[in-house]
Amino acid sequence: MTEESQPWASRFSPCTQEELVGNDRAIRQLKSWIKSWDKVIPKQRAVFLFGPPGVGKTISVVVLSKDLDLDLLEVNASDYRTKKRLESFIGRSAQQRITITGKRRIIMFDEMEGISGVQDRGGISAIASIIKETRVPIVLVATSIGESWEEKFKPLVDISSPIEFDPIPFGEVYKRLETIADKLDLEVDGEVMDLMADRCRGDLRSCINDLEAIARGRKKITMADAENIGYRDRKDYTPDALMKMFSAKTLWEARRVISSAHIDYDTLFDWIYENLPVVLDDPEDLAEGMEALSRADIHQTRGSRSQDYRLLKYMFNAMTGGVALARRRSKGAGLLKLVRTKIAELGFPPNAFSVMESPEGITIKPIRYLKDDWRRVDTALRGIGAQWVRGSSCWGLPYFRSPQLVWRYRRTYHSRRRLKSVAARLAEKCYIGSKEAIADVIPLLKIIYKNDAAMAQGISKWLGLDEKESEWLKS
Amino acid sequence: MSSGMWAEKYRPKNLNEMVNHTEIVTRLKNFAVERNLPHLLFVGPAGVGKTTSILALARDMYGPAYQSFILELNASDERGINVIRDKVKNFARTAAITSEVPFKILIMDEADSLTTAAQHALRRTMEIYTRTCRFCLIGNYSENIIEPIQSRCSIFRFSPLSEEDLRGWVRMIAERENVKLIPEGLDAIFEACEGDLRKATNLLQAAAATQGSLVDDIAIYGVLGRVSPGKIRDLINLGLKGNFLDAREMLRTLLIDEGLAAEDIIRIMYSELLKLAIPERQKVALSDAIGEIDYRLTQGARPEIQLSALVAKLALAGEEMKS
Repeated sequence: MTEESQPWASRFSPCTQEELVGNDRAIRQLKSWIKSWDKVIPKQRAVFLFGPPGVGKTISVVVLSKDLDLDLLEVNASDYRTKKRLESFIGRSAQQRITITGKRRIIMFDEMEGISGVQDRGGISAIASIIKETRVPIVLVATSIGESWEEKFKPLVDISSPIEFDPIPFGEVYKRLETIADKLDLEVDGEVMDLMADRCRGDLRSCINDLEAIARGRKKITMADAENIGYRDRKDYTPDALMKMFSAKTLWEARRVISSAHIDYDTLFDWIYENLPVVLDDPEDLAEGMEALSRADIHQTRGSRSQDYRLLKYMFNAMTGGVALARRRSKGAGLLKLVRTKIAELGFPPNAFSVMESPEGITIKPIRYLKDDWRRVDTALRGIGAQWVRGSSCWGLPYFRSPQLVWRYRRTYHSRRRLKSVAARLAEKCYIGSKEAIADVIPLLKIIYKNDAAMAQGISKWLGLDEKESEWLKS
Repeated sequence: MSSGMWAEKYRPKNLNEMVNHTEIVTRLKNFAVERNLPHLLFVGPAGVGKTTSILALARDMYGPAYQSFILELNASDERGINVIRDKVKNFARTAAITSEVPFKILIMDEADSLTTAAQHALRRTMEIYTRTCRFCLIGNYSENIIEPIQSRCSIFRFSPLSEEDLRGWVRMIAERENVKLIPEGLDAIFEACEGDLRKATNLLQAAAATQGSLVDDIAIYGVLGRVSPGKIRDLINLGLKGNFLDAREMLRTLLIDEGLAAEDIIRIMYSELLKLAIPERQKVALSDAIGEIDYRLTQGARPEIQLSALVAKLALAGEEMKS
């Protein structure tokens, strides 16, 4: 098969550890466990990788084996049916530390979820006995869906140490899509990438499959092409989970949101931060809630800096319980108030719109035809997270809106690039730091560029700026 | 003939053009005559002529081609001491053969922003390359420079410019650029620039661009409202008014769209806080809050989260002041 004809998900699958996306902690755990085999056989002879689909469990094992120069023996679903083959062939391999190629061996049992509980019970116990005897590292891999999987694999869970894989954070999925599009010289609308990266809910593989499905044979993808991406049937649990979290009365109740949201902690943190000021509409609650988030942020920084992930539990407590329990005086009418203020700011009387609450959020319906005002109102309402719903001629504002930060970075990508390049030119020409150029000089340059074309032209020439950079200073 | 930035155009080119720091200039002139110099440490407030002095010295010493004998690094822009060391190594390795001066000069701006560990590494580098390279370290405070470096350098302390000199210099530039600078305008510049001549000159130039070469106090205040301190003052006021969502939006604009560093925002917030007309007790409490967030930021916490937490504290203080 030539490279081009391969499915993209495998064509662009990572080859080195650096290329692996997300789950740093899990991958580090896995690597240090494999390395612990260098000298002696460690106490834990197997690890159990579990997590949602498409987050890189299998590929991590493949890549690490290659990086550490090990000979990987892959066992998968079809082999589990035949207990005999398991015991004889694999059991024997598990006794040979060195293969005929002179490399050390590692065994991976992949797609373990394919073992059906009753029929293959023999399979599971066969694997368990292989693990007990093994002289080479054994990695078990299962896609965990639902709660029952742990029950099913209990004999194996007991004799292996678990390594959990999380969904890939939105930003990472986005970055990966961008890289792939770059490599293929494919022009994809930011909006499309956003939609895809968001919709895949951390399943990177499915996201790359989707990209391939709409992009094969094209050079340019717009929103119109993306309309027909098939929805994978996954519910968005985040708003429900947030609703529960913000009304929790105990730490335990608030913490449960982490397991029910089905998103990674970082993304959940961003969701909470985005929506906290609307829910906590009392200043005292708000200050307390923000302080809790600030503390959560610190616990997270400490945890990832020292790579001591035990510290993360303090982050969870602060970002869930700390925030939820700060809500004592808030009336929870923050969003309604916000809508009314916006309408007043736009110069409309309160009765120009009918503002109603629904289970999902707030609908804002203009009483009369807005005509030329529509665009102005739309921009303002979009600013607070509302969207025009075509069929019902009103704006819908969900109670919880998705984090705006990533969006914002994306929208300002080009302008930030110009900012940096202009700052670098200034730093060199004026013998200052680029931070100082950004804070003190560029705002003044912008004033000059807006007001005095001749002076601006002189400065552009002197700094050696190109047209786009000069244009940017004018905007 | 008004091309480029005036602050650069009117930067003194050689030591003779320098009108201030007479004693320092005399000593530097001696170095230029003798064609030899020790490692230098220039300390003093921003915009008083530290970098100008070393550039002028270099020109006097090496002549018009001085650029190839100096390397100017800004410590706050370089990624870690290893990058600095590599750059220094490459620069210092080649001896200055075409010149009668047997060494080059490496200028390290904002050297006081380097961590202690980085400064120790730098000290080592200074020793290794002393034969072919002299270092001129520049910073605001000598306290932030480790003792071993201080003891290897001749220290030059630059005092703040006198009001006389500063006003005179700005007036001179205005005249040469045909800008009609009326006294109120000059007063406003003087008040805003905090003794920083570069800032004063940049302000004059921007104000001159807005009003077709008449610069009065209104032009200056107009410009000031659109630079960082002005915007951060707006941010503080939104916070105090309890308008958290708009304040957060503004914070995002400053951090993301305009690329301001969190430490700059917090520094300006602090100095603006001191000027606020709020009860003294609140001032003390908010200073404490800023101090805490400042520390958290130095520990690597996320700027937007931390600054938002601070804005929430402002909103609470604003609420308390109402009652």
